Amino acid sequence: MYIGLDVGGTYTDAVLLEKGQVKSWTKVPTREDLLNSLLEAFDAIMRGVPPDLIERVVLSTTMITNLIAEKKYDPVGLILLPGPGLNHSHYRFDTESCLVGGVIDYRGREVVPVPKGDIDSSIRTLAGLKYKKVAVVGKFSSRNNKHEKEVCRRIQESHIDWQVEMGHEVAGQLNFPRRVMSTLLNCATRDKYQFFVQSVLVALNSRDINCPVYILKADGGTMPLKSSLSSPVETIFSGPAASILGVQALIPPGETAVIVDIGGTTTDLALILGGQPLLASKGADVFGHMTHINALAVKSVPVGGDSVVESVGKELILLSERVGPPYCMGGPMPTPTDALKVLGLTKLGDMKKAREAMKILGDPLGIETWEVAARIMMLVNDTITSEIKNMFEKWEQEPAYRVWEVLQKKKVRPNTVVGVGGAASGFMTMIAATLDCYPVIPPYARVANAIGAAVARPTLQVSLRADTEQGIYTLLEEGYQGPIEDKSFNEDKALQLAEKWLLKRATKYGLENDIGEVEVTRREVFNMVRDWVTSGKLIDVSVQTKRGILHYIGTGGGNIEK
Amino acid sequence: MKSKKTGVIFFPAFDWAISPTHPEREERLLYTRDQIFEEGLMDLPQIAEYPPKLATIHDIARVHFCVPRVQSQVTEAHLIAAGATLSLGDSIIQGEIKNGFSIVRPPGHHAMRVVHGNRGFCNINNEAVLVDYLRRQYGIRRVAIVDSDVHHGDGTQEIFYHDPDVLFISFHQDGRTIFPGTGFAHELGGPQAYATTINIPLPPGMTDNTFHYITDNLVLPLINDFKPDFIINSAGQDNHYTDPLGSMKFTARGYAEFTRKLNPHLAVLEGGYAIETALPYINMSILMALAGIDYSNVREPDIDSFNFKENPDRFAQVQKTVEGLLDIWSRRDKTDIEKIFGTGKFYQRKKQIYYDTDYIEEEQFEKVRLCGSCPGYMIIESRADRGYGQTARVFALSIPFNACQECHTEAYDLYEEAVKNKKGFDFVKMQDKSTDTCLSYDINKGQEWKSEGPRPGV
Repeated sequence: MYIGLDVGGTYTDAVLLEKGQVKSWTKVPTREDLLNSLLEAFDAIMRGVPPDLIERVVLSTTMITNLIAEKKYDPVGLILLPGPGLNHSHYRFDTESCLVGGVIDYRGREVVPVPKGDIDSSIRTLAGLKYKKVAVVGKFSSRNNKHEKEVCRRIQESHIDWQVEMGHEVAGQLNFPRRVMSTLLNCATRDKYQFFVQSVLVALNSRDINCPVYILKADGGTMPLKSSLSSPVETIFSGPAASILGVQALIPPGETAVIVDIGGTTTDLALILGGQPLLASKGADVFGHMTHINALAVKSVPVGGDSVVESVGKELILLSERVGPPYCMGGPMPTPTDALKVLGLTKLGDMKKAREAMKILGDPLGIETWEVAARIMMLVNDTITSEIKNMFEKWEQEPAYRVWEVLQKKKVRPNTVVGVGGAASGFMTMIAATLDCYPVIPPYARVANAIGAAVARPTLQVSLRADTEQGIYTLLEEGYQGPIEDKSFNEDKALQLAEKWLLKRATKYGLENDIGEVEVTRREVFNMVRDWVTSGKLIDVSVQTKRGILHYIGTGGGNIEK
Repeated sequence: MKSKKTGVIFFPAFDWAISPTHPEREERLLYTRDQIFEEGLMDLPQIAEYPPKLATIHDIARVHFCVPRVQSQVTEAHLIAAGATLSLGDSIIQGEIKNGFSIVRPPGHHAMRVVHGNRGFCNINNEAVLVDYLRRQYGIRRVAIVDSDVHHGDGTQEIFYHDPDVLFISFHQDGRTIFPGTGFAHELGGPQAYATTINIPLPPGMTDNTFHYITDNLVLPLINDFKPDFIINSAGQDNHYTDPLGSMKFTARGYAEFTRKLNPHLAVLEGGYAIETALPYINMSILMALAGIDYSNVREPDIDSFNFKENPDRFAQVQKTVEGLLDIWSRRDKTDIEKIFGTGKFYQRKKQIYYDTDYIEEEQFEKVRLCGSCPGYMIIESRADRGYGQTARVFALSIPFNACQECHTEAYDLYEEAVKNKKGFDFVKMQDKSTDTCLSYDINKGQEWKSEGPRPGV
């Protein structure tokens, strides 16, 4: 049996799955005392189930997301090696940033060594300002980590107690500013995340659950909880990822669907294309900070069941803010939920109050209660459906760098709209009709997130870049670089080496038995020609374990709600 | 409100090459990609990245007489490279972006009106395809094209040689020392478009100093006088001091400053084969200059160890050329055209064109109708020898977008006559830019193809 656990800001959801069936589920409030909330959720779903039947537990959480949103993390100092390029004033992050000389180029060649004096004066500056957490990030550090390591070593010589994070270990992809942000956030959230992990382990231990425990990442894969300690930022947005995987598990395989998660103040949109959730092409935008974190593509629209509706002139308009609960539930202002109530599309709230809300809006315009409600429905519908159309268009507008990529671009439209979240059911029929799709509210939609966590697969990826002219290879995910000794190194050998590293990584994370089928996701070879003669090859290959989910969920099973 | 963003289409064609070791190969923009992506330029609010789209066969046929057909001269990569310029052109005219940079392969400025094969790594002239598209789609009339490639932009020059509404300025390494061997100061445009072609051949070894001298003293004043509706920069990058084919000493900073001063609507990548030492830095600098981002911190790694001395005698020579051209420009309206080009119903010239990549020799006989009310239609008779006894003979007619009724009728009569006679040619072709109609008649098969563009604004 599998347990899926989603620790959200307001609720903690848990499900127990047995052979692809939901055996039990629960939703309990997330309290300050995290440990007790977790225990309550476990006890609710485990009633009568011996703990040794549990084969694995997977968590998802918005904890790191919330920490970052509320800026509840320790200050992190930056030591940056930006080299030539953009004016250095672009690299002003919201913290002390010390710039150090030294230049690495795009092939990882050292152009200018790091001046020792620069390092020392940066360390003095940060020490003077009492920073104890430092992120060290260099331009092109994923092509050559020498400079970052030099700075790190120097810090450790004098400040053994500092927590130092290096860019090449956090984010190997190209894009220096994003690498800086990812490294900074990772450094900032490490302790707090450790506390979360500890609470989970204590809760499991006290209920004698000794199976492997995993955490969901933003890209929909999982990693063992213990090995996630070094990369907390990977778990950011694991909440939305969990909902998406949950829906994937609850709808038939191979569908192209839009997921519409309508909450109180925001609506999250995501796409499942041909049965697979869409990954964002660029790293996640974390509250306005662009990062390298791989995430499923989610678009947040500022409209929800509690959004305020106002009349302006002869028009009704939808505001993006929330000032309290809906009018029919004792709130101060009319909301879309009140419209749903009047039209009989929700069980929540008081009918008399809801009608009153419609009257407040309708009287000055001289329109009937039902018409006000219908107009509000249209407003919400128009906002959401136009964003869905944008999302598909944006996906079609992704850049392409190869001829075949441009040629295979095609127009895809969804055939299903899946509603999850509190207010979804009321709006789903209308949204689906506008998009010419089938509306679906899957069973267990309310705990889709916990189901998503439970069915998520462990995933591992290795991206290897070999530069045979220089005789060096680097691993993007590990930040490792090593020599190529084989004179006849080629694409096939690069793939073999990548697979070897995949196994090594799997063993490191205790996943050696989960590897299964290995997919090659990228395979690129560039001949380097100098003076009309081939002088070497640049080989880029990526291999990964199979993506997807472990089960599709059938119906059946009981539920326990608190 | 007009957008303040700079649009960029980056299409490195990582899966397309002329041949594995050819300079125009997959690797060419690899390091440019690395540099631009690592800098995070695409994330900046001043820059918007667009995906490339394909140009249509008709977009190509509007400009080129491809032999035997468009499909036999273009690969998908060519349609994408041309399509990228069209896409950015659309976004600029529609006010979505203020300017754009088309960082695409394959290049195009050596491709002429008649295309028998590949010349100087080019099959399709991306800039010319854009000009005719903008005219058709948006009624844009006057265009300036400034070619900053080390090689003479002979294809672009040839296509617009008789077009008084396109000012073509090319500065490049002297044709006596480099491909394609043309682009001398006396090449000034045909009788209907005198002094709208301007060439400044440069002696080898000139530096940014010369680059800016030409820009400030010739390029900018001419553009200022010409008042184009749209400015295009054919941004070849082989004037760089590390280029393996050229012998000039320009820098990335020089290119950036040139871009800032010229302030083109669209820059289109042309040549440049120092793929490691020049392209990453120049492409980045041009993009930053277009977007109004400070580029002063972009530096080539070896710039301090290079000798940027310029020979003063050679600089004096450039000054003399520029002064001569300025004089011609200032007197262009008073010039006695008949004295230079002669009189008669037609102006005609013979041309020999060599396709260095495909080893094709073409012989062309070009006639322009000397019409008083429009730029006049053109008649081109072309014969290409592919070197193994295979020849292709073409009779082609081109009607300008602003042709008068008389020229229009005359050209169609000539087309029909040639089709009827069936003598001496394999193909009869017509390019009617006034109605956006292209015709191609295969004499041996007795078959005609016709294509028409979408109506403007549709």
